[in-house]
Amino acid sequence: MSLLQLPPLGLYVHLPWCERKCPYCDFNSHEFTELPEQAYVDCLLADLEREIAFAQGRSISTLFIGGGTPSLFSAGAITRLLQGIAARLPLAAHMEATMEANPGSAEAGKFAAFRAAGINRLSLGIQSFQATQLRILGRVHDSDQAHSAVTAARNAGFQRINLDLMHGLPQQDAALALADLATAMEYDTGHLSWYQLTIEPNTVFHKRPPLLPVEDELADIQDAGEAQLLAGGLRQYEVSAWAIPGQECRHNLNYWSFGDYLGIGAGAHGKVSFTDGRIMRYAKRRQPEAYMQAGADDYRAQQRWLQAEELPGEFAMNALRLNAGFTLEQFSACTGLAAGALQPALDSLVERQLLVVSGNRLTASPLGRRFLDSVVAEFLPD
Amino acid sequence: MSDLSHIRNFSIIAHIDHGKSTLADRFIQHCGGLSAREMNAQVLDSMDIERERGITIKAQSVTLDYKALDGKVYQLNFIDTPGHVDFSYEVSRSLSACEGALLVVDAGQGVEAQSVANCYTAIEQGIEVLPVLNKMDLPQADPDKVRLEIEEIIGIDATEACLVSAKSGIGVEDVLEYLVARVPPPEGDRDAPLQALIIDSWFDNYLGVVSLVRVKQGVLRKRDKIIAKSTGRAHQVDAVGIFTPKRLETAELAAGEVGFVVAGIKDIHGAPVGDTLVSAKHPEVASLPGFKKVKPQVYAGIFTISSDDYEDFRDALSKLTLNDASLFYEPETSDALGFGFRCGFLGMLHMEIIQERLEREYDLDLITTAPTVIYEVLKKNGEVVQVDNPSSLPDPGEIDEMREPIARCNILVPQEYLGNVITLCVEKRGVQKDLLFLGNQVSVIYDIPLAEVVLDFFDRLKSVSRGYASLDYAFDRFQAASLSRLDVMINGERVDALAIIVHHDQVQYRGRALTEKMKELIPRQMFDVAIQAAVGGKVVARQTVKALRKNVTAKCYGGDVSRKRKLLDKQKAGKKRMKQVGNVEIPQSAFLAVLKVDG
Repeated sequence: MSLLQLPPLGLYVHLPWCERKCPYCDFNSHEFTELPEQAYVDCLLADLEREIAFAQGRSISTLFIGGGTPSLFSAGAITRLLQGIAARLPLAAHMEATMEANPGSAEAGKFAAFRAAGINRLSLGIQSFQATQLRILGRVHDSDQAHSAVTAARNAGFQRINLDLMHGLPQQDAALALADLATAMEYDTGHLSWYQLTIEPNTVFHKRPPLLPVEDELADIQDAGEAQLLAGGLRQYEVSAWAIPGQECRHNLNYWSFGDYLGIGAGAHGKVSFTDGRIMRYAKRRQPEAYMQAGADDYRAQQRWLQAEELPGEFAMNALRLNAGFTLEQFSACTGLAAGALQPALDSLVERQLLVVSGNRLTASPLGRRFLDSVVAEFLPD
Repeated sequence: MSDLSHIRNFSIIAHIDHGKSTLADRFIQHCGGLSAREMNAQVLDSMDIERERGITIKAQSVTLDYKALDGKVYQLNFIDTPGHVDFSYEVSRSLSACEGALLVVDAGQGVEAQSVANCYTAIEQGIEVLPVLNKMDLPQADPDKVRLEIEEIIGIDATEACLVSAKSGIGVEDVLEYLVARVPPPEGDRDAPLQALIIDSWFDNYLGVVSLVRVKQGVLRKRDKIIAKSTGRAHQVDAVGIFTPKRLETAELAAGEVGFVVAGIKDIHGAPVGDTLVSAKHPEVASLPGFKKVKPQVYAGIFTISSDDYEDFRDALSKLTLNDASLFYEPETSDALGFGFRCGFLGMLHMEIIQERLEREYDLDLITTAPTVIYEVLKKNGEVVQVDNPSSLPDPGEIDEMREPIARCNILVPQEYLGNVITLCVEKRGVQKDLLFLGNQVSVIYDIPLAEVVLDFFDRLKSVSRGYASLDYAFDRFQAASLSRLDVMINGERVDALAIIVHHDQVQYRGRALTEKMKELIPRQMFDVAIQAAVGGKVVARQTVKALRKNVTAKCYGGDVSRKRKLLDKQKAGKKRMKQVGNVEIPQSAFLAVLKVDG
C-alpha cells in the first residue's frame, strides 16, 4: 500500500443507556436502574487517553455524542466530558459538537446547560409527530413533547438543530407520512434526517414483525417526500439527509467522505489511517459493564486492518451515499490506491446508467441512488 | 476337464422395493461373509447416493461359501443388478456372467413391468429363472395370485416358487438349496487358454482400474501377462480375487468363476465393459460377444455458474466417466451460459444422480438446462441430421421433416387404475398397441414419444396408480411429427439455453406455463423484465417481472460499517448464484423451470 494523506479526524462518544429499548432499535443501547455517569465519564476519558497517538497531530474537527440517549446525562457530566476531551486533544476552532437528545420534558430542561457546556448542535429523535406511530415505535415521548422539544431547543439558543424523522411506519399511509414531514419542515430547522424504518435482526420487530406498508406505498412515500423536501428548500446531500446549504452535519460528512474518527464508549467504532498507508477499524466492548470493567485492559473488543482489495468497496459504500459523490483524487488520497482500483466495476455501472462520471467526479445517478446497495455491491471483493 | 460342479453363478431380478438387497444381505449373513457388526444394512449399495435413494446403480458381486444340506460346500457367486428402469441395460451385463437368476417378486404387489423385461432378457440368454415370492410376512401377501401372474405374464412355471420373508429371515435357506439344486454349474475348460469377459470396470484411486470379470475358460493368475482385446495392449496382472463382499485377494480365478482383476490399467477405456481379456501368450483367442453399447436417451447442457470453475468441472466429468461409461459429454458453448458441456444420460434419474454427485462430491455450482431427447431432422437437401440440442436445430427454412423418437412402453397395472393410466398415456400423445388382462393385472402397451416418457412420465404413472403401475420402455423408432422450437426471450434477447422442442399442439400451453413459472423464479430487478415465449419469431405468451422500486439501506449509522458491510456481502453472495443474461440476473432454478411445467 502506498502512502496516503491523513484525512480530517472526528470524535464519536457513545453513551449507551436508554430509559426504554425501542422495538426497532438495534444500536448498542441498554436499559438501566442507576446511571453511573461519573464513573462512565472517567472511563471515556481514560479510553480517549490511550488513543491520543491516533490523532497524529490532528485536532478534533467534529464531535458527536450519540447513544442510547445522551440527553439522559446531566449537564454537569457532559461539561466534565467536554472539558476532559479538550484537555487531551486540540479542538479545531468552531468545532461542530452535536448531541443526540430525546424530546422528553426532563431533557428539554437541560438544553441550555448542554449548550453552555459547549454543545452547538442538537439532534432530536422525533421519529414521528403522530401519537399512534410513536406508540407503536415504543417511544417514551408523545406528540406534544415532540413539538415542545423543538421549541425548547430553539429557546435554549441552539442555531443548529436536526430532526430525526422516520417513515414507512406501521399503520402509516402516504398521507400520514407526508403530513409528518410537513410538520417537521414547518420548524425550519435547516436539517432533517428522513429515513425509512428498516427491520433489523436482533430487534423485537424482527422477532414479531409489525405490518408495514407495501413496497409500492413505501416507494410512493419516498418519491413524494423527496419532492416535498426539495420544494421546501432543503437539499438532499445523502441518502437520508437533507439540509439548507451550509447546514450539513459535518461529522457525518466526514464518515461518508471516508475520513478518520476516534470512537470512545461502549460499542463505539473508530477508523484511523496512518501515513504509511495502513487503515485500521476497531470497536470497543459493547456491554457497558464489560466496557467499564476493562480498566487497565484494552477497551477495544476488536481491531482489524483493511486489506487493499476491500478498500474500493468500503470507500464506495460511504462516499456514494453522498449526492456529490467523490473525486478520484479523494479516493486515492483516502485509500492510497490508484484510481484504477475502481475500474473493474465502473464500465458496467456507467453503461447501465447507475453511475455518472463527469471529469474526475463520480456520482450515483438518480437511478443509482435508488438502487445504491446493488451499485455498491459491485465494488465489493469477490 | 476340471470339476466346476460346486460353482453356482446367479443374479437377482427384482423391481425396486421388492427386497432384492435385503435378500442379498441375508445370503451374506447366512454364509458368514460378514460379521453381524460389519453388516451395514444393504452392503451392496456402496455409493452414498445409492443408499440414500435405496437404488442400485452399479453391478457388484459377492462370492459366498455355502454348506448345503447334502454336506457339500458350494461357491455361490452373486452378481448384483440395478433395479431402476434407467439402468436396465446393466442387467443384461450382469446376466451374462450367470447360469441362473432369482426372480424376486413382492407377494403382495405382484409382477412389475421391468422384471418382466429383465426375465425375457434372461430367458433369451438361456438362463434358468427361479421365482421367489418375498414379503410373505406381510398380511397382504397372496402367493397363489402372484404365482398365477408369474405363469400368465412371464410364462414360467411358478409352482415350486420359494416363499420367503427376507426381512424376517424366513425361507432364506430354502432359496439357497433351491439355487444349488436348480441352477446348472458353469461350463468351461480350465486347461484351455484364458478367455474372460469384463462385466464391469471402475476406477479406484489407489488401484487404478478394477474390473469385474467372468472367466469363461482358462485361469487368470497374479503376474500373468494379459491382453485386452479391444485395445490390443498388454498388462501385467497385479491382483485377482473375490468380494466376500470385502475385497479378498486369491491366487487365481479359474474358468466358471467371477471375481476382480487389477492390472495397472490407468484409464477405464483400457478395460472397457464387454471387452475380453486373453493371455498374452495366446492373443489369437477370440473375443466373446460383448454388450450392445448403450446410447444416452436424454441430453442436457450443464454449465458452471462461475466461469472460473470450468476446468474443475471438466476434471470432475472425466473422473465420473471413469466409473460410468454410460455418461457422455462433449463441450458446448451457450450465448447465455458460456462454456459448458452437453451431457447424455440414460434417463432422468441418471441425470439427477450425476448432477448431485458433481455438486456434492466436487463442490460445483451448476446450471442444468432443460433435458431433451434426440430428434432426427430431414433437411430439404436430403441430408438427415440428429439433433441433441434445441439451439442447434437447423433453420426452419431448411427443414423438410422433423422426426421424434418413439418409445414402446410396457405397462403393468392393477385393473382399478387402468382408466387413469390410459388417460395419462393419451395426454402424453400415446398410441395404444395392445391391452391384455392377466389375472388381476393388465398389460398395456403404448407407443409414446420418448420426450414425454423421459420427462416425468414415470413419476406421473406412479402417482395416478398409487404406486402400483410399473413401466418398462425402450426406444423403438423415429417418426415424423409436427414439432417446433419454443424460444424464450428475456427482455427481447433469445436465451439459447432455455429453448425446448415441443409438439405443435402444446405450443400455447407450454409457452404460457413456462413464462408463468419463470416469472415466479426470476427475482425483481432494477427494471421491468419481459419474459416471452415465441415460435419462429411469433410470440405465444408473455409475462413481466415488475421492477423493484428501490434497494438502498436507509439509515447508515456512520461509525459502524460492519453491519452494512455484512448485508452487502450477503447480497453479493446471493448474486453469485445467479447467471447474468444480458442485464438480467437469472437464478439456477429458472433454467429447470421447463421441467417443472406439466406437459
